[in-house]
Amino acid sequence: MNVHSQAAAAQSDDGIALGADLLHVDNISLSFGGVKAIQDVSFDIRKGEIRAIIGPNGAGKTSMLNVINGFYHPQEGIISFKGRERRRMRPYEAAAQGIARTFQNVALFTGMTTLENIMAGRSLKMHRNFFWQMLYRGPALNEEMEHRRVVEEIIDFLEIEAIRKTPVGQLPYGLQKRVELGRALAMEPTLLLLDEPMAGMNLEEKEDMSRYVLDVNSQLGTTIALIEHDMGVVMDLADRVMVLDYGKKIADGTPDEVQANQAVIDAYLGVPH
Amino acid sequence: MLYREAGQFKTSYQADQAAFPIFQDQLAVWAILAVAFIGVPLVGNDFFLNSIMIPFLIFALASVGLNILTGYAGQLSLGTGAFMGVGAYACYKLTTIFPDVNIVIMIVASGFFSAGIGMIFGLPSLRIKGFYLVVTTLAAQFFLEWCFIRIAWLYNYNPSGAIEVPQREAFGVILTGASATPVTRYLLVLSIVVVMTWIAFNIIRGRIGRSWMMIRDMDIAAELMGVKPLNAKLSAFAVSSFYCGVAGAMMVFFWLGAAEVESFDVNHSFLILFMVILGGLGSIKGAFMGAAFIWILPILIRAAPGWIGIEVQAATVEHLNFMLIGGLIIFFLIIEPHGLARLWSIGKQKLRVWPFPY
Repeated sequence: MNVHSQAAAAQSDDGIALGADLLHVDNISLSFGGVKAIQDVSFDIRKGEIRAIIGPNGAGKTSMLNVINGFYHPQEGIISFKGRERRRMRPYEAAAQGIARTFQNVALFTGMTTLENIMAGRSLKMHRNFFWQMLYRGPALNEEMEHRRVVEEIIDFLEIEAIRKTPVGQLPYGLQKRVELGRALAMEPTLLLLDEPMAGMNLEEKEDMSRYVLDVNSQLGTTIALIEHDMGVVMDLADRVMVLDYGKKIADGTPDEVQANQAVIDAYLGVPH
Repeated sequence: MLYREAGQFKTSYQADQAAFPIFQDQLAVWAILAVAFIGVPLVGNDFFLNSIMIPFLIFALASVGLNILTGYAGQLSLGTGAFMGVGAYACYKLTTIFPDVNIVIMIVASGFFSAGIGMIFGLPSLRIKGFYLVVTTLAAQFFLEWCFIRIAWLYNYNPSGAIEVPQREAFGVILTGASATPVTRYLLVLSIVVVMTWIAFNIIRGRIGRSWMMIRDMDIAAELMGVKPLNAKLSAFAVSSFYCGVAGAMMVFFWLGAAEVESFDVNHSFLILFMVILGGLGSIKGAFMGAAFIWILPILIRAAPGWIGIEVQAATVEHLNFMLIGGLIIFFLIIEPHGLARLWSIGKQKLRVWPFPY
């Protein structure tokens, strides 16, 4: 598979061994006025793993993803990605460094077709200038076709051939989530952030999505960080789980360790007063 | 029956992404081009060319321009009239400073001035969206109108305050001015419009067009795909204003012959915006349909009583006209809010599957 080989090539570029730290978050604090969304959280994501972030509603999970891909700028703390410490960063710079993402409430380009949406994910890899774009001939056309080929492989992989030319606004929710995953995959990311990829899905759709997540991780070697509320899914998929509650990290470890942690049980079930 | 694509298989992605993937459509496009380039000049009289075809094509080009900005990049603008004015005044200045350069080159060059001004007034779009952006483009409209009146240098200190098109020739043919024939002017306008429409279509289906649509549909996700909002929005303003500028220059040089600030007032901005909305946001053929509907239909209605031999007072016809056009606009927008272009593709789909319902 071409996607596979290209992704593998991308992986070897950054020179980080499997299992070594890909992303390092140190003492991040983020507040909006008086609301402390994240307080002094540190964690790491290792290359090649599936890292889950869980926690009750409002725990700061999505804020954490927003910090990682540059939507929010934390007041304190340091983030380093691929061994390089980064300063204030815009989302498109994070994208250029290899961080892709899906959204909790699907953020597809609703007026565009499935094909165009996934092609949109290739934007960073297309470079032909305005002149060739105007003519839609020669280099621009070749480039377009080259990327169309990659996009078709992603469409095959996600089994969405039949909706290739359907505007995504007309698709059912489960398929939209799948297209969004495809769009993120088209960026050939080193780190893929999934914000509740299974929210609102039925059992069958969840099983499909879980299979895709595992396939992406094992076949393409993409490191994945995911937020999910379905504990069954999280415990089955994740290599390591971090638990947030009210913006603080309360537990971090393998699924078994986290499940046995009293602080986690208290956060989810409440404590008797 | 007529519109079956059975048996037309695509064997390459290139064929699949062609502008007109269906054979019947390709035939239709060549037929339309043949009629426009050969048929119309042969049979059209001066009135038909001067009052219908030339303005229709010019407004269609301006609609394509505004459609790029509003329909594809999602940035509302009411400054179209002023940007057309920038093109017209720039072309006038250019051709009076360099009288020997071919006027067609000057018309295209004037688009760049309009693009530059458009980019400057596009800067607020980086912070504000929607109706608030409309207000800032409206400010551009009034500011530029003020410039067209107050800066006498723009109209070469002409006491009447108007720009008058000088006679320009190329290869022995008179292209502009009072003695240029309607056929020459029509063919020039048509050629420029066809080439620029083709270019617009190419840009839209490529990387740059996608980046505009990404910004329109979901700017947060677009940024995450590596699209810089600054580049996408300003390039949309630049390309859109370029098209409006060329349309404005052609409006004065190939149609009106002379123009004052009133030719570029806010009413024209509205006119073009209505063409875009009625034709269909985010559709190039919609721009042509909208322009045809709003420009040609009133002329037909005005002429209709004469054809069927009824004597109606001119004033009555004019009132009827307003009522009919207004009614039709509402009618079409109610049955299809996405404009005539969508209506057209629904019709095409019905033809494809006829006699079955789906």
